[in-house]
Amino acid sequence: MLDFRKTLSALLVSSALSVGALSCEAIAAHAQNAAPAATPTPEATSTPAPTSAPVATQAAQPVASPSATGTNPAVTPAANGMASAQSDAAVMERGAYIATAADCVACHTKLGGQPFAGGLKIATPMGDVVSTNITPDADHGIGKYTEQEFEQAVRHGVRRDGAYLYPVMPYVSYAGMTDQDVHALYVWFMHGVKPIATAPKPTELTFPANVRSAMAAWNFVTTKEQPESGDSATYDPLRRGKYLANALEHCGTCHTPRNFMLSEKQDRYLAGGPLSGWYAPNITSSKTAGIGNWSEDDLVAYLQTGHAKARAQAAGPMGEAVEHSTSRLTDKDLHALAAYILQVPAMEDDLEHKPRESFGHAVDLPDLRDKVPTRIDDLSEMDGAHLYDANCAACHSRNGAGTRDQYAPSLFNNTTVGSARPDNLIMTILHGVNRQTAAGHAGMPAFDGHSDVQRLSDSEIAKLVTYIMTTFGSGDPHVTADQVSHFRKNF
Amino acid sequence: MSSDQTLSADVVIVGSGVAGSSIANELARAGISVIVLEAGPRVDRQHFVENFRNLENKPSYQGPFPAVPWARHPPNQQTPNEYLHTSGPNAEAYQQVYLRMMGGTTWHWAGCAWRYLPSDFELKTRYGQGRDWALKYEDLEPFYYQAEVMMGVCGPDPAKEDLGSPRKQPYPMDALPISYAAQQFRSLIQEKTPWRVVHEPQARNTRPYDSRPTCEGHNNCMPICPIGAMYNGSYSVYHAEAAGAKFIPNAVVYKIERDSANKRVTAVQYYDPDKNSHRVTGKYFVIAAHCIETAKLLLVSADDKSPNGVANSSGHVGRNMMDHTGVQVTFISGDKALWPGRGPLETNVIDNFRDGDWRSERGAYLVHMVDDNQVDLATQLAISKGYVGRDLEEQIRYLAAHTVRLFSHNEALPDPENRLTLSKTNKDILGIPHPDVYYKLPEYTVKSCEHTRGVFRQLIGLMHGTDEQWTPGYFPQDHPSGSTIMGTDPTDSVVDGFCRTHDHDNLFIASSSVFSTVGTGNITLTVAALALRVADTLKKELIHA
Amino acid sequence: MRQDRNRQPVADWCVSPNAMRLNRLVRMSRRDALLGGLGFAVAGGLSGAHAQTVQPNASAGADQSGEVASFMAVSQRLTDRDTLDANIGTALYMGIVHANPDRKDKIQTLRALMDSSKAATAADLAHAAEKADPALKDVIHEILTGWYRGVADNKVVVYRSALMFDITKDAVYPKTYATGGPFYWTTKPPEVERPTGHPALSASPFVIEPT
Repeated sequence: MLDFRKTLSALLVSSALSVGALSCEAIAAHAQNAAPAATPTPEATSTPAPTSAPVATQAAQPVASPSATGTNPAVTPAANGMASAQSDAAVMERGAYIATAADCVACHTKLGGQPFAGGLKIATPMGDVVSTNITPDADHGIGKYTEQEFEQAVRHGVRRDGAYLYPVMPYVSYAGMTDQDVHALYVWFMHGVKPIATAPKPTELTFPANVRSAMAAWNFVTTKEQPESGDSATYDPLRRGKYLANALEHCGTCHTPRNFMLSEKQDRYLAGGPLSGWYAPNITSSKTAGIGNWSEDDLVAYLQTGHAKARAQAAGPMGEAVEHSTSRLTDKDLHALAAYILQVPAMEDDLEHKPRESFGHAVDLPDLRDKVPTRIDDLSEMDGAHLYDANCAACHSRNGAGTRDQYAPSLFNNTTVGSARPDNLIMTILHGVNRQTAAGHAGMPAFDGHSDVQRLSDSEIAKLVTYIMTTFGSGDPHVTADQVSHFRKNF
Repeated sequence: MSSDQTLSADVVIVGSGVAGSSIANELARAGISVIVLEAGPRVDRQHFVENFRNLENKPSYQGPFPAVPWARHPPNQQTPNEYLHTSGPNAEAYQQVYLRMMGGTTWHWAGCAWRYLPSDFELKTRYGQGRDWALKYEDLEPFYYQAEVMMGVCGPDPAKEDLGSPRKQPYPMDALPISYAAQQFRSLIQEKTPWRVVHEPQARNTRPYDSRPTCEGHNNCMPICPIGAMYNGSYSVYHAEAAGAKFIPNAVVYKIERDSANKRVTAVQYYDPDKNSHRVTGKYFVIAAHCIETAKLLLVSADDKSPNGVANSSGHVGRNMMDHTGVQVTFISGDKALWPGRGPLETNVIDNFRDGDWRSERGAYLVHMVDDNQVDLATQLAISKGYVGRDLEEQIRYLAAHTVRLFSHNEALPDPENRLTLSKTNKDILGIPHPDVYYKLPEYTVKSCEHTRGVFRQLIGLMHGTDEQWTPGYFPQDHPSGSTIMGTDPTDSVVDGFCRTHDHDNLFIASSSVFSTVGTGNITLTVAALALRVADTLKKELIHA
Repeated sequence: MRQDRNRQPVADWCVSPNAMRLNRLVRMSRRDALLGGLGFAVAGGLSGAHAQTVQPNASAGADQSGEVASFMAVSQRLTDRDTLDANIGTALYMGIVHANPDRKDKIQTLRALMDSSKAATAADLAHAAEKADPALKDVIHEILTGWYRGVADNKVVVYRSALMFDITKDAVYPKTYATGGPFYWTTKPPEVERPTGHPALSASPFVIEPT
């Protein structure tokens, strides 16, 4: 985030500016502590059923099933009169699916809030951007938007009143959507989403990012996706994969590093970059720095469940993206997306020269002990090995192999531990994992200052990260308590 | 030594266990100022996990929790004891253990979260034994549910498995799937006896709940859940602190001050570990310091106005001590391998002896088949039998796979002669007397235990058991209760149906010490429900005032 | 009866928690001193990759390594195992000898007996030992308790690495180290045939440690 602040200062001088290009999923990391009632059943956890091709209706989306016609009672009268004729089941189904693939819900729903009613705070160095209500409510949502106005917002970042949207909204990616898909998306939002008559608190940013018109300058210089044409459902697999990756899932928003102007560096497409404390890794086909050793099935498993055995698992923003979006794609689309990603030209990395998942092995050493129980008020800090033993070994096993079923994953052959960058390990320990897909729930408690399980200090986390990466991963990352403190305070 | 600083809050709570912390949480969330005084220190789970692993005598549930000198708790269940001095014909049966530290004794419970049966509240009316409570099951039902949500309790669907306590809401979480060993035990009971095995309601996550993970069956609920899948009072402490309640650790309350009319409590005084005294004033006071420490504190506060102790005009403070004193046996099953110790410790119960007309003659009880890892016990047994080498390894495997442990919770009755008093000879470093308890098992409980032994012998026979190891005498269950007994008559009880002391309008007690009878289910959920009802009363009075 | 670990030195009383914590940090435990004095490498263990090696005091080290070698040889025979962990063995030996200094000689006696009787199995050695000196039974119990329970001198030497968990690992986990994932316990564990072996030593009273 420090680089980001510098860039912003530079932008101030050059009178262009931006409020940052946070992925909309990035903030969803804040939604980790889901309310108890929203969590899965034990059956779902215990018996991971193979995911059959998820239909759009299985999405967390609230009301309408695609089979609903214009008679859906949730539809606003205004929209109803206008669009009932064209809202046939196929268009609705396509719209719902596009909304899922584009992961609109991640940003436009606050924790415990009504779907698409907005209100999620997206932290930026300039202040919080608050996502808006995009339900079809006429006064508080987008009920008054015509299809053309809707298209302007989604593909060009221009609001109905002509103001520019903050680029937290990934319209540079959505610019690549076909006319047909934008139309379906519009129809679905107008007819498939329950209108909610609440307005989230407006975004308040500090000057000069609070001047929305200044966004025009950034829009002028940034690179946008070129719109695709025709019927996206009929594309050949590679084109379909590209469309999914760029126009809908907006992978590059996080995985492509940004230039001085905070635009994605297209010559470093998917070569990895930091965001909100997490590091979206290099996912190019590089066999040393990327995911060039992954099979298409590995990547499909990862996108579908958030977990590819002996490779990686999704937490933080990617966990959210998997939960809300990629896990709900059809098998066909997942394969198209995976195949496309795996042929993206290899990009090397400054720090990583050996595949992240290749590091480490089970470390079986006897647990020699020389202490007797100490008094209950003994809060003296343990060393890394004992911190691991006391906080991690119960699930990840003393030797790092994880649980037999990999519910708690192995820590060796694990990209988070094998990365040269400790960022994701620090963030995972601070914030835990809370990822729900049809394959089951993946959970790890947070160890931050709000944890009910165990609150670890900056110094303890630094020692723990050092121990884990040294023992099971890429080597000593030289993490300090100050670094952990930075992650804790800023993200 | 006295400190100038006077602390003050709307409500002052003594004790940070499940009772004190859940009241603090409710009140703080309603905007009421709260101070909680905890005699013990702040503590850490990771430390206890390591303490457990470094503990030689693993079945000693107090072992990982060596006390601080200014707030001692019983170091073990042995008689004589260094802290809780028991005497009388059944002294050893009342050798209770508990924990004095932030979050309280639920750091090492097994999460068994029973509601009492409606009949448990009316033992006198229905069976002519003991006493009636000054409240009915229906009064507590909403608070039972509130407590279940707060803790995160899993339990069976009442339509499939009715546990006898009517519910208006389903359990917050689905029942915990029972282990293979428990499934075998359940089948045996079903096929060969007129009884049944039910899912035990447990404050344990069968799905992620309250930002805590799903149970992974570490088999160590007692003495320490390593991952936080089981509820303990520290979560309510954290939640209360987040809501604005102030918790002061290492604050050993030793005096309860009253006004000149002796009708209202005005302040409490506590010592810090260096014996500096501090005074805390408030509008309401709640003593939630565990059955034994609560009675001790009321007695210690005796002065000219209340020569027998605070809230003790009836003379019943410290009397009527009860527990679920039970019977325990371990044996080697001659049937197929069970491998107990996979999954949580206590998941299943024979509940046929919780209620019946025979309660006019003998106490009720429930039976746990404890799902306890028996590898260590098996190893000790095999070595003592003289096995070595490869034969020893085969024996260990066989014994570990076939060891069965059964124990019972048997119902006690309130007897004023079973009494807690202040030790005249033993004092802690702050000069506060240790507790002494005289205990004679009521005949009602003795008969109940005899019946249990018969049932256990029958079960051992059904499982072709050998190598019976009966725990000598009676087995304390660490469910002490009754020391500030509830009732409608101020001359023979300490608190009313709302847990308000008869003597002092603004003094409440939230503890198992108010139980009028003790039923059979583990006491914690009822403690929590009563505490939440106290919070409800306090909210109404403070907000209306 | 086990020593009550709750008893703190009187000097630790009447001080604040902070002072106690500091105190504890600068205090070297008796056991630490012993480990250092005997001059053994305390390798492996929880410190894993960061194991520290204590420089051995040359002469003591040489004496002790011979004793440990005897202990390891006797242990292998008594467990019918070809390999045992030397680090665990060293720690067990120190604990056993610390609890009862006469075990030094008794273990040498066992070693000599093992060689002279040409005991080929644990049972052979145990038979011969009890016949030669009934007191050797206690020593054998201590050695087996050490390897199988991980306990010596009433202290935990190893917990999860104790052999009792190695021989049951296909069915159960050491408490706090269960890695089967949620609800693993509902599945059927392995069947165990009734053993056919016989005790090699006379039976001893089985005393459950009081809790």
